[in-house]
Amino acid sequence: MNMALLPSMVAIPLGIAFFTYLLARKSSILADILGNLATFSILVISILLIKTRGVYVIGGWNPPIGINWVLDGLSNLVLVVVALISFAATIFSTRYMEQYTARYKYYSLFLLMVGGMNGVILTGDLFNLFVFLEVASVASYALVAFGCNHEELEASFKYLVLSSIGSTLVLFGVAFVYGATGYLNMASIGGIMATGNQNTILTVAAVLFIVGFCIKAALVPFHPWLPDAHPSAPAPISAMLSGVLIKALGVYALFRILFNVIGLNQLYGTLLIVLGLLSMTVGVFLAVGQWDFKRLLAYHSISQMGYVILGVGLGGYILATGGSSSVAALAILGGIFHLANHAVFKSLLFLSSGSIEYSTGTRQLKEMGGLISIMPVTRTTCSIASLSIAGVPPFNGFWSKLLIVIAAIQAGFHAVAGITILVSFITLISFLKVLRYAFLGELPEKLKNIKESPALMGVAQAILALFCIGMGLLLLPGPREFLLEPAVNALIQGVEYARIVLSGS
Amino acid sequence: MSENLLLVPVFLPIAVGVLVFFIPKMVKGVREALSLLTAAIAFVVVFLIFRMEESHLFISIIEIGDFNLHLDLLSAPLASFILLFATGFGLLISLFSASYMAGKERYKEYYGYFLFALGGTAGVFLANHFLLFLIFWEMVTASLYFLITTGEPRAREGATKSFAMIGASDACLLMGVGILWFLNRTFVISDINLPAEGWLPVLAFLLLMVGSITKAGAVPMHTWIPTASEGAPASVMAYLPAALDKLLGIYLLVMISTKIFVLGYSLGLVLMIIGAVTIIAAVMFAMVQHELPKLLSYHAVSQVGYMVLGIGTLTPIGIVGGLFHMLNNSIYKSCLFLCGGSVEKKSGSNELGDLGGLSRSMPITFITALIAALAISGIPPLNGFASKWLVYQGVLETGKGGSFIFLIAAMFGSALTLASFIKVIYSVFLGQKSKYTEKVTGDSGFAMVFPVVVLAILCLFFGIFYRFPVEQFIAPGVGVSLTPMGIWESPLATILLIAGIALGLIIYWIGRAMRSVRTADTFVGGEKIEAETIRVEGTYFYDTIKELPLMEKFYLSEEKGHFDLYILFGKLRAWITGALQFLHNGILSTYLSWSLLGIIVLLCLSIFLL
Repeated sequence: MNMALLPSMVAIPLGIAFFTYLLARKSSILADILGNLATFSILVISILLIKTRGVYVIGGWNPPIGINWVLDGLSNLVLVVVALISFAATIFSTRYMEQYTARYKYYSLFLLMVGGMNGVILTGDLFNLFVFLEVASVASYALVAFGCNHEELEASFKYLVLSSIGSTLVLFGVAFVYGATGYLNMASIGGIMATGNQNTILTVAAVLFIVGFCIKAALVPFHPWLPDAHPSAPAPISAMLSGVLIKALGVYALFRILFNVIGLNQLYGTLLIVLGLLSMTVGVFLAVGQWDFKRLLAYHSISQMGYVILGVGLGGYILATGGSSSVAALAILGGIFHLANHAVFKSLLFLSSGSIEYSTGTRQLKEMGGLISIMPVTRTTCSIASLSIAGVPPFNGFWSKLLIVIAAIQAGFHAVAGITILVSFITLISFLKVLRYAFLGELPEKLKNIKESPALMGVAQAILALFCIGMGLLLLPGPREFLLEPAVNALIQGVEYARIVLSGS
Repeated sequence: MSENLLLVPVFLPIAVGVLVFFIPKMVKGVREALSLLTAAIAFVVVFLIFRMEESHLFISIIEIGDFNLHLDLLSAPLASFILLFATGFGLLISLFSASYMAGKERYKEYYGYFLFALGGTAGVFLANHFLLFLIFWEMVTASLYFLITTGEPRAREGATKSFAMIGASDACLLMGVGILWFLNRTFVISDINLPAEGWLPVLAFLLLMVGSITKAGAVPMHTWIPTASEGAPASVMAYLPAALDKLLGIYLLVMISTKIFVLGYSLGLVLMIIGAVTIIAAVMFAMVQHELPKLLSYHAVSQVGYMVLGIGTLTPIGIVGGLFHMLNNSIYKSCLFLCGGSVEKKSGSNELGDLGGLSRSMPITFITALIAALAISGIPPLNGFASKWLVYQGVLETGKGGSFIFLIAAMFGSALTLASFIKVIYSVFLGQKSKYTEKVTGDSGFAMVFPVVVLAILCLFFGIFYRFPVEQFIAPGVGVSLTPMGIWESPLATILLIAGIALGLIIYWIGRAMRSVRTADTFVGGEKIEAETIRVEGTYFYDTIKELPLMEKFYLSEEKGHFDLYILFGKLRAWITGALQFLHNGILSTYLSWSLLGIIVLLCLSIFLL
């Protein structure tokens, strides 16, 4: 019964995007209502779907000819995260977007992006994945440029060029795979890979996929578009881009293809670990030197994505080299959990930055100060998110980082654990800097008359802050069994994915 | 049943701390009452735990493969003895804060963080699982940060630096705990015991040591304490850096030096060197300070040197002495910080140059500050002497030829401490009144006087009857029996000292009664000079130290931050960031070439390696 709800995860955002553009031209309130209604309904549906597993075949055309959508543990988790962040972002948008015109365009693009992401997460077909990837990406190019200032247009152009290269590489990868195997269905390809068929064309395809998705996920050295694009967008869009877009289009797709379709070997595992470490360190050292609040946050996204890649890559490496499977599971759990946690605290940080910008009119940390007495709500949420990202217990970021560190040590990778801890420390320093310059100290003369941002924006921040505080509970045995563990198992099963999906349909 | 009692001192303060944030702004006085009540309950419960048999509480929380996190609480005798002091400080300082923080802008959050710190401390002392230990430890760090931010706007500097430095040490701690797991395959503290030999165990020990000495504040990780003292509320300084952080840091140091690792001579020597350098360097900085909290904070660092030195001797008497000094130091140092807070609240300044002549208007504060100052300087029969005496014996017992250097350093440091506190007592309480102290008419109220009086009495008690705590609680807690120590009959000596002082007073009074004294106005060059203009500040005498040939360079580099790891690390970090920013020139073609390069490298790798 629940499987029937699955198509609506894509159909609702795409459909309402269409109707918003059509109906809400004159009335920005209607646009607000439609946008929030759409994200609220997909949040409800994604929660209803939590325990559901299965395959949905579009139009009754069975794979490998038809397109199938697969709901397993991993896609389930990422769907919930995307829906949650989208909901918070639309609540925040209702007041924040008052600064802009053409709200109907904003919500249409927003929902197109959400629909595209949900499609990427659900689809079991490579070409279908590419299509949804492009839907979400193109919508996000337009959203980055939404303010139409020269800075935003420049950032959007950079993003467009680099990201299109990523999409093209993915398309090439799809073509190569199709040429080598004759299939586009992920499960069918995985079935062939599971027989141990080694083929240079498939290796090249794998590299093209890795690079393409790494560009989408902004891993070093494929990251330079992100620090321009993410700060330039309106705050709720920044929250969406950093919070979920790079994860759904980049990291999720990369994991899905590497683990479940191509099958992970030692080289790819090492590659993920190296990319993870590189992104973590380069990102954090660049972040800590920034004075533009949102730019600082954007660099931290690169660094935090490094944690996710490192955790999962470490797990994959251990699995590929035949190490202890419980350590591998721990590493992957850490990575996946960090993905969810990062979505929550980074979106919250971007919303907080938006809230500060709304009130003070600036993003420069040096022009702020003493906001502690004027913006108590934003101060509280921003402090909670900062402690989360810095890995201070008992907030959510601590738990996932702890799991990654402990897994690295259990696997005997002391140096990796050491770097992970060092990066976490520099993250702490950089957020102490944010708190110090934004909230502590003397209030500058020209900010004497500002007010706290509107209540509805505060509500959006408070929702995410509650998750920052409470998400550690997901590790408790009960909740872990139905959200995190299935996601980990979906990756650990590797190319077994093919058998499960094909038998399910 | 009785083991459930262990939950109370940990989770009651945390729960009430959360509650405090939700009390509406209009309600007044409830926060203070709640915090006082919670601290009192925690104190009583810890006392019960202390009197009970050793009890153990185990609740399984998370278990994933080899990773586990359990609520594993154990009331070891030593830990619960120290915890008794920690909750006692919580109680006294909570009372002090009720009056001291009243009227300050951000007192509302203050009590929330105050209680978090208390619960976190209790958690650290009771935890028998290293990850649990770490979580509570970090909770105290974060509470310290937020407590400092409740001070003046300029406190942001100190708050940031404190969290950054302790955060760095917490990171070391996590790494050390990880390596310990790797070596022992367990997180249970009481199950770990290994010799510190080979590079991995030594690395683990050094990492854990960094964690402990940063919290306690020994050179070179001490610089957060003086910076935090600039602008932080005095009660916060008395509560965390002076009391709880010392207890936590030194407790961990004792644990890793005695229970968790079996140390060799060379690691002990490392600790002794850290201790000796800390004693001397910090007291040199303390002597030239002009601001009361900052001066006290340098002494807070200097005293840690004695504890580390004592523990580094690795002899039973040295370790017991170090632990005893930790308790004593927390007593007199928080007493001094609270007296400082009391003076600041009354006069409105904490610059030594602005104060003076308060002995008559604030007699109780004067006497308590005097007792604490003499105690920190190691004057018999006060507690500071008793514990320093044990540390000296420990140093002598190591018996190596070099131990004399450490002994001399420790004694010299003690003399300089006395010199520094003569300046404090003179500048604040004696001499002429200043425009700040003129308007001070009476002592502070009960809430601010009572805690310092209790602490001063403890200074006396622990000095005169030092054998009681040392032989009853500390030595058994460490698991050693003390060999007979040097002859120091404190009660007898006290009686003799009191008799001597009384005799001196009698002679002084007789002499004063017999001699007649005439006072005249100051008269220079044909003009009368106002008393105010010829006021001599206590700090003036000590400025000459700054101008001594060698010392001049030393103080200059200190001011420039050459000894401050925080600043040095900041420079390194800025250099790396600069180099990376240079590479990010914002030109699209550069970025495209990176991607291209990435593709080529990956292609080569995967084609040739597979």
